[in-house]
Amino acid sequence: MNAMLKLVGAIALAAGLTAAPALAQTKLTVPGGSTTGTYMDYMKTVYARASGSELLQVPLTSFDNEYQLTPLAAESWTQSADGLTWTFKLRQGLVWSDGEPLTAEDYVFALQHAATSGYDFAWYWDFAGGIQNWKEVTEGKAGPETLGLKAVDDTTLEITSTGPKPYMPSVVSLWYPVPKHQFDKFGDDWSTNVANVVSSGPFTLKSWEKSNNTATLVKNETYTGPWQAQVDELTIDPTLGAPEVGMPAFLAGDAAFTYLNAGQIPVVKQRFPDAIRTNTVFATSYISFDLEAAPFNNADVRRAFYYAVNRDELTQTVLKDIAIPAHSILAPGYPGYSENVAKQAVFDPAKAKELMAKAGYPNGEGFPTIEIWFREEGGYNGAILPPMAQYLQAQFKDILGITMNIKVMPGKDWMEGMLARKNNIYIAPYEYDYLDPSNFYGIFYNGGRHSYHVPEFDKFVAEADSNPNWDERVTLYEQAEQVMIDQGMIVPLVHPIIMAAVSEDISGPGVTPNSQGFTPLDRIGNFLYSHISVK
Amino acid sequence: MVLFILRRLLSIAFTFFVVSVIVFLMMHAVPGGPFDGYDMPVSKAVRDTLMAKLGLDQPLWVQYVNYMKGVLVFDFGYPYQAPGETVISLLANAWPPSLLLGGLGVLIGAPLGILLGMAAALRRNTWIDYFASALATLGLTIPVFVISMLLILIFAVWLNWLPASGWGKPERWILPIIAYAAIPIATYARYTRSAMLDTLNRPFVTALRAKGLSERRIIFQHVLRNSAIPMVAVFLPMFIGTATGSIFVEAMFRIPGLGSYFVSSIENRDYPLEMALVLMVTLMFCFAYLISDICYAWLNPRIRFGEQPK
Repeated sequence: MNAMLKLVGAIALAAGLTAAPALAQTKLTVPGGSTTGTYMDYMKTVYARASGSELLQVPLTSFDNEYQLTPLAAESWTQSADGLTWTFKLRQGLVWSDGEPLTAEDYVFALQHAATSGYDFAWYWDFAGGIQNWKEVTEGKAGPETLGLKAVDDTTLEITSTGPKPYMPSVVSLWYPVPKHQFDKFGDDWSTNVANVVSSGPFTLKSWEKSNNTATLVKNETYTGPWQAQVDELTIDPTLGAPEVGMPAFLAGDAAFTYLNAGQIPVVKQRFPDAIRTNTVFATSYISFDLEAAPFNNADVRRAFYYAVNRDELTQTVLKDIAIPAHSILAPGYPGYSENVAKQAVFDPAKAKELMAKAGYPNGEGFPTIEIWFREEGGYNGAILPPMAQYLQAQFKDILGITMNIKVMPGKDWMEGMLARKNNIYIAPYEYDYLDPSNFYGIFYNGGRHSYHVPEFDKFVAEADSNPNWDERVTLYEQAEQVMIDQGMIVPLVHPIIMAAVSEDISGPGVTPNSQGFTPLDRIGNFLYSHISVK
Repeated sequence: MVLFILRRLLSIAFTFFVVSVIVFLMMHAVPGGPFDGYDMPVSKAVRDTLMAKLGLDQPLWVQYVNYMKGVLVFDFGYPYQAPGETVISLLANAWPPSLLLGGLGVLIGAPLGILLGMAAALRRNTWIDYFASALATLGLTIPVFVISMLLILIFAVWLNWLPASGWGKPERWILPIIAYAAIPIATYARYTRSAMLDTLNRPFVTALRAKGLSERRIIFQHVLRNSAIPMVAVFLPMFIGTATGSIFVEAMFRIPGLGSYFVSSIENRDYPLEMALVLMVTLMFCFAYLISDICYAWLNPRIRFGEQPK
């Protein structure tokens, strides 16, 4: 069905484009993410959050379009001598949209509430934040007041972690306040009922259509912090997220920009190239294994797969314009990216065959039929995963002489299968949460996402995570990734890129390519929607 | 007739029960739960707490009994994907757009299809017949999302007459209603043509003509009424199928309707909503067929419910 939709979209686009469309309105309507949203509270349900919830509240820090960390609610921060405690100083004069002062207590409450009542992002504050007692509180063994969080006064916030977290200012880019005064009055209904939602960020909530998670936000006149809204009204409509729906709306002037699918890209490039924007999403698709089950309990077999992937051909053919080769778990431009690591991920069929022979499977003889599992997805992964799986199937047959079947499955089944180790090989996509190498290496650390336990790797990651010196950290992460390569822990495949077409009627740094040529039209919404205006 | 209706009501109750058991079991047999599927796993402790909060830690039969107890008093629980409101209020908010657009699509499409089918039957083997047949075939074979895309391109992008998509203002309803109407037009055109041709060839029509009745009276008073039975059989199920929303039409035209919930409730393992939707559709179809059967009797007095043919 997706392929059919894309084909239809591309044909329709080719027929319909005559000129770059102009917006017929001054209010912006933009594509959103998930068409289902539970709470208008980022801290409670990140993955199932309502559209725009991150634009309603002001995080402590954020990233601009150059991926530079920028103070937002926090004015400054310091780390204690032992590295365990960070103190954030909030800006003076920040208020909620109902006039109540925004205080450090609101930030503390946000995490206390998330630890006891949140669910899908609880792992983040344990894994990334390492907040003291987080695990105990989420498991119900301790009260929320025992968390390593403290509102010293109205504008001073302390966070204490179990180990030094030199990257904590990046981690807190996802720390949004929750209005305790509203929660005390309404409970969780503060974030499910539009009338009860108050905001601390650049926008306030005007309406929320729950059946498709479309939210209309208006400029928050009480917000005094940096990155103020440049548009009066912003509608985030997740139904426009699918390029097949977004493009017709864009052409009719109903959407400020639209994401493009593989069929639409060449047409838009040809018809109005100035509208095209490209973004790297700092995500990686990779193959992971069950390291303890045959045949992938043999590092030579895993490494054979590592060398059997022709990433250049893959991204120049079936994934043209939608992905670039991944030579490391980190994408080019991501903090900590290392050329020394990346240059090792070469396509070397001879070496791949040699490793298979060494493992006892010359030309694939005796190798069991395997089945690679990947999950059904929308968005950029939806376009990448199915053709990539088929490409790999053919390539592994050709080079390694093995038979690999493909199984596509719902996300929940896939995740459950991976955690319970029901299969031995997966294609796994992962997108960054915060801009630090610890984010990507952490998913393989001490169990993590794949039930991996590789002590040598864990040692380097643990050291890197707590080292305050950036250069030393990078070296340690390089060593950790060298272990990944030597052990064949994963096979990096591709990094997705997102292409979009932007209306000629909008402008500003938010839609202007950065120094690397990328225009981040998603993920850094705080920057984007405060740096975009209607001409 | 009363006995027939009572029997059918009992049969509806039985069907409702069987469907509820099967769907409940199948729903829980699918791997994964409402708190799986994120990029990183939810810890066991957190998952256990949440499952307990939703009563999902109970044995399956207890969950079923508890759920059905609620259903009996129209309490379908709380949807996991839209906390803060009940399943009933969610349906009450999401159904009207689907009902309005889908319902109007059928209400407009069905008469148009009947007219088209009548014209085709009365002008058999003329260009009118060929045109109507071609239109009906296209309406049935072109996927609705392609029709939607074409409508948007022609009327919104090229001609700029109508908005491409969205909800709220009545002008935004026009294109989705046309998209929804495509299948009723095509279906009714085919049914009407076929049924009318069949009726027109019956001896009683020849007799009526021999008696000197006007052609208009023969067509509208006798032929159309006798041809109506298959159309009645199709109408209500089609109305329900369309008025409960199409995920394709609603996605293409960005309508905040019910269609997407049929998919998202399954994807998100939103058990209360999934059950409510299936039970609601089951009931509606059951009653649709009951009403259709009653209409048969009105249209054709020869039909006697519950009587054995002599």
